[in-house]
Amino acid sequence: MQQRSGGWKVINKWLEDKELKPFKFQEDAWKAYLQGKSGIVNAPTGFGKTFSLFLGAVISWIDSHPKDYSGKTKNGLQLLWVTPLRALAKDLGRAMETALQELNVSWEVGIRSGDTATSVRAAQKRQMPEVLIITPESLHVLMGQKEYANIFKKLHTVVVDEWHELIGSKRGVQVELALSRLRGLKAGALKVWGISATIGNLDEALEVLLGPYHKDGIIIRSNLKKNIALKSVIPDEIENYPWAGHLGIRMLPQALPIIEESQTTLVFTNTRSQSEIWYQALLKADPMLAGALALHHGSIDQELRIWVEEALHNGILKAVVCTASLDLGVDFRPVDIVIQVGSPKGVARFLQRAGRSGHQPGAVSRIFFLPTHALELVEAAALKAAINEGLVESRMPVLLAFDVLLQYLMTLAVSDGFYASEIYEEVKKTFCYQDLTEDEWTWLLAFLTTGGDALGGYDEFKKVEREGDFYICRNRTMAMRHRLHIGTIVSDAMLNVKFLSGGYVGVIEEGFISRLQPGDTFTLAGRNLEFVMIKDMTVLVRKSNAKRTIVPSYQGGRIPLSSNLGRMLREKFNEALSRKTSDPELIALQPLFRLQEELSHIPKDNELLIEQIKTKDGYHLFVYPFEGRLVHEVMAALLAYRISRIQPITFSIAMNDYGFELLSDQPIPVTAENAKMLLSTDNLLTELQTSVNATEMARRKFRDIAVISGLIFQGYPGKHKANRHLQSSASLLFNVFKDYDPDNLLLRQAFNEAFFYQMEEARLRETLERIAVSRIVITTPEKLTPFCFPIKVDSLRDTMTSEKLEDRIKKLIAVNG
Amino acid sequence: MVGEIFEFQGQRWHLLPEKAVFWEEEQALIVSDIHLGKATHFRKAGIAVPSGIGQEDLFRLQKLIIRYLPVRVIIVGDMFHSAENSEVQYFKLWRQQFANVTFELVEGNHDIMATAVYEQLQITVHESLTIRDIHFIHEPCDEANGFRYTFSGHLHPAYVMQGTGKQRLRLPCFYFGKHCGILPAFGHFTGHASIDTSETDIVFVIAGKTIIRAQ
Repeated sequence: MQQRSGGWKVINKWLEDKELKPFKFQEDAWKAYLQGKSGIVNAPTGFGKTFSLFLGAVISWIDSHPKDYSGKTKNGLQLLWVTPLRALAKDLGRAMETALQELNVSWEVGIRSGDTATSVRAAQKRQMPEVLIITPESLHVLMGQKEYANIFKKLHTVVVDEWHELIGSKRGVQVELALSRLRGLKAGALKVWGISATIGNLDEALEVLLGPYHKDGIIIRSNLKKNIALKSVIPDEIENYPWAGHLGIRMLPQALPIIEESQTTLVFTNTRSQSEIWYQALLKADPMLAGALALHHGSIDQELRIWVEEALHNGILKAVVCTASLDLGVDFRPVDIVIQVGSPKGVARFLQRAGRSGHQPGAVSRIFFLPTHALELVEAAALKAAINEGLVESRMPVLLAFDVLLQYLMTLAVSDGFYASEIYEEVKKTFCYQDLTEDEWTWLLAFLTTGGDALGGYDEFKKVEREGDFYICRNRTMAMRHRLHIGTIVSDAMLNVKFLSGGYVGVIEEGFISRLQPGDTFTLAGRNLEFVMIKDMTVLVRKSNAKRTIVPSYQGGRIPLSSNLGRMLREKFNEALSRKTSDPELIALQPLFRLQEELSHIPKDNELLIEQIKTKDGYHLFVYPFEGRLVHEVMAALLAYRISRIQPITFSIAMNDYGFELLSDQPIPVTAENAKMLLSTDNLLTELQTSVNATEMARRKFRDIAVISGLIFQGYPGKHKANRHLQSSASLLFNVFKDYDPDNLLLRQAFNEAFFYQMEEARLRETLERIAVSRIVITTPEKLTPFCFPIKVDSLRDTMTSEKLEDRIKKLIAVNG
Repeated sequence: MVGEIFEFQGQRWHLLPEKAVFWEEEQALIVSDIHLGKATHFRKAGIAVPSGIGQEDLFRLQKLIIRYLPVRVIIVGDMFHSAENSEVQYFKLWRQQFANVTFELVEGNHDIMATAVYEQLQITVHESLTIRDIHFIHEPCDEANGFRYTFSGHLHPAYVMQGTGKQRLRLPCFYFGKHCGILPAFGHFTGHASIDTSETDIVFVIAGKTIIRAQ
């Protein structure tokens, strides 16, 4: 093929001039592409994944226009490049433009995201560039425009970048739906390629991307391996009562020399609040860093983030404190060291972050693990072992997301309208909606046209009109509102933060700001600010010189331990117990283990430890399955429910990634005799449904669903006041649906999401099966143990009760006098 | 359902779990924040909330009127949610069955319809209302205002209770402060706001079908 392709020769020549040689996987990808195939390219970052597909398309173009490929302009949109992050678009575009220029191919590269200026959009409308880099949301916005089909007339290839990031989310579903429409427009003649890092279920990722065409799809794997050097920063002194409250700041003196000795360091933290604290603390510890240290997270002003990214490229920063906002594949060459503060909670995420350093092919990625509390050192040892064994998590695709489908149907309704039978066929072919029933489809259409359960004469529901099989929205206000609303990334209601004197600082969660009084000071984007007031959905602040400020916490920050890492963790505890370990992390932890052993017990991997402790707070029961917070949350509720059937009792429940706690005002009747029965898989599903506060979990899930499906009206930018009467909270909507429309599909989706994604029922069952064949060890320590301490002090809480509401209230009243 | 008869300011107030108060001496039923028409207002804008909420709220009010046979119903503001819509017409029909009962609305921030509409619906609108030196005004007052006592709505109050074992409950409530009492929101499609209380305040929470004094 190489011999016959003129384009291939042009590319080879170009590479040779630069003294470069294509990697084998790149050539494999070009070949498959030229054969007209679709598929996935899987390679580590830093080896030119982009070029494996982009150049494929360029070769094909040169082949089909051998004479005029360098002069032919205005060819229409050829290649659509979907990327999850706006930040990636610019770098990608730059790399592509450079290559095109050097190859003398007269293609244009455009970017389309939420940040694209109106003038650029208008220009694109007149003449689309040949290559368009776009986010999933913006792709849907394009499909929400009149005569959108014209845009895609010449389109032959869609590449979905960072597919592993998208597949487990509703944005992945957006990609599936957009692809289904594009395939429909092209009668199937569309090449679709994904680019993915290694995940546990790459074959499934292919199936989700290609839908019914996946059998012809191909996965091109590079045999290149990224070398990772992981080193734990071991605290000088191991605290016997570990807790994460100080966010690792105590380890800062040991982080400074690492930063000083490297060219550029990325300091990854797990939450935005933690990154703010680290930023401040680093500056305080080393004032020389001022000007060379930056902060990057999702709540910081876009412009500032772009500046930080540029500065990283140019190598003028010594270090950047960041969150997942810098996880994805932008190529910052100067970065040679990564510090991970606190556990990354998963192997894949850790690998991704490690890969941010040593971005050149063949370079070693160097990452330091800095524990926020001593027990996390065990996680470091577990991570090392997992990486050695090549254990990487799977990303489970989202199924039957009715909210995203409703949004998509509305998008089609506001553009040119749609024929239901045609769209139904397309939607049914996606992985996400393969099990969609006709009844559900009918319900969705009714939701858009009559608003569900219309009660006849008095109803004034207005949205989409139906003309036989054709559905269209002719209401301009509603169409405009929908276009502004497209997108599935939802966070807690975010408010803009501005100075009184003007000037934008960033965004902040409404829930945080509502707890502040005027005059309180807080930290955002590395600045100390005094809260003045909220006006028109904007938080007004002035600069503050206060020494002590509150650092906002964000809801989205807590990530549960993955099951792979959990298993490794249990093995490491086993190893630590054997005292034969060579892991420096485990050796350092010996004093803590000794105390745990003295007070209670260290579970072997065929044991489950339960501790019963009495303190002034009440009676505590601690259980340590090491399965991650989500599984623990559900297990705790299940155990609480089963105990509560023995006697009326109320629990408060807390958990972390290692175990969970039941706390009650009366002794908890768990004994060596009944423990196995209380943790059995008998009647699991039914008892789960009654025990877990499924309603509360579903209520939390419903928030996103309500926003995505258009039930919550967020208002027009800068025009909030006029629509005050249309505001309501998701929780309130959830209540009215539950009481008045219990069969609502969106409500059902909320419960499903709670069960399958939040409760991880399958993983819970596996855990219980493991416990069934384990030995249960119950201890009654005199005081808190190193294991239970972090659960008691740092965790989230829930309630489970079998007492009557009135009795509970009476008790609460009695206690409060 | 059973209420709680609360003797306060020399009057007998029946606090009802339906989120209403029956004032025995005046034979008056008092409710606040019904937000009639809210669901329809949403549906008109293409937001498919269930359509029967307003009718259910009125049915609940109807049952209360039949049980207590008040001479008047006092609504302490936010009777209607927004501009006139079909739920308002529904109310007009519903209203006819109680031709002998007067409806007195103390204007709330949501009551924005034209005066003529209220006239048609046979609702008397007041900025505030005072009976036996008991003052009714939509937004709560912080300080003494010269009246014996004041009743308000507006906040949709809920009371948070905490206890050992870190237990927590949040329930809609009747709140009686030093100068001003705040009524729970009557409408079902309304949210709650947690209120801060001081030790001398009296609070009754609505726990399902009963009323319990919480402090």
